[in-house]
Amino acid sequence: MLSGANLTVMIAAISVLLAILVALRTDITRVRDGRILAFVALFLLPSLALWAGASEHMDRAKTTEFCLSCHVMEDYGRSLYVDDKGYLPAAHFQNNRIPRDRACYTCHTNYTMFGGAKDKWRGLHHVYVQYLGTIPKTGEIKLYVPFNNRECLHCHAGSRSYLETSAHQKSPDLLQKVSNNELSCMSSRCHDTSHDVATLADATFWKEDQK
Amino acid sequence: MTQLEKRIRQSGLLIFTGIAILLLSLLWKHPLSFMAFLVVGCPLTLGGVLWYLYALATKEGSESKGSA
Repeated sequence: MLSGANLTVMIAAISVLLAILVALRTDITRVRDGRILAFVALFLLPSLALWAGASEHMDRAKTTEFCLSCHVMEDYGRSLYVDDKGYLPAAHFQNNRIPRDRACYTCHTNYTMFGGAKDKWRGLHHVYVQYLGTIPKTGEIKLYVPFNNRECLHCHAGSRSYLETSAHQKSPDLLQKVSNNELSCMSSRCHDTSHDVATLADATFWKEDQK
Repeated sequence: MTQLEKRIRQSGLLIFTGIAILLLSLLWKHPLSFMAFLVVGCPLTLGGVLWYLYALATKEGSESKGSA
């Protein structure tokens, strides 16, 4: 069965061939069939190829490989392999609580081009900084806005382990506050060790193929 | 070659270049390939499509001018 990427390549390849054919043999548009071919080659197929290409690129941009392709993000990728259950992203990544090939996007859903207009602008700014600006040191990178509990509750809300764990029963309104984003899951003494890239030098790492 | 055919040729070349860039950008999973598609491939293809539609829309006018 054809994958989305293969289908996109196929549509684009046919489109490119027909476009050059019509460009080099414009005399074919003098007859009705030629005009239909020109309409397909210069309107229908390019529109379809653009839509499929944009969709494929957006899909690729959600992959962990894409996010970590910039050098400055490498340590954040390494932090997913820290051999310590206290490292929240690492525990989620290593135990398949999030899809590994979309690890970044699963928790950072409003990031760059997947958020609103402001996030998209930030995404473009990141590319500018990466190639033309001053790249910040890895440890200096911060979230623009505090992490939203929505990303955690997307999976955890309603689950038995989340509702019944004793730490979540400390006060009667704790779960409600978390649901309303009034109390952060990442707040101190809760799940506060995320991508602690400053401590990676002292960390031990899980090797995926050791067993 | 008529005015319409000239515009169809220009449109075809724009679309060919734009979609070729799209094809090349799909070979590399990187922010730069996404940018190449967004900044170069998309405008060229869209420009080609719009130029073709413009050529069709103005066909009658240019033909009647030519015959006058």
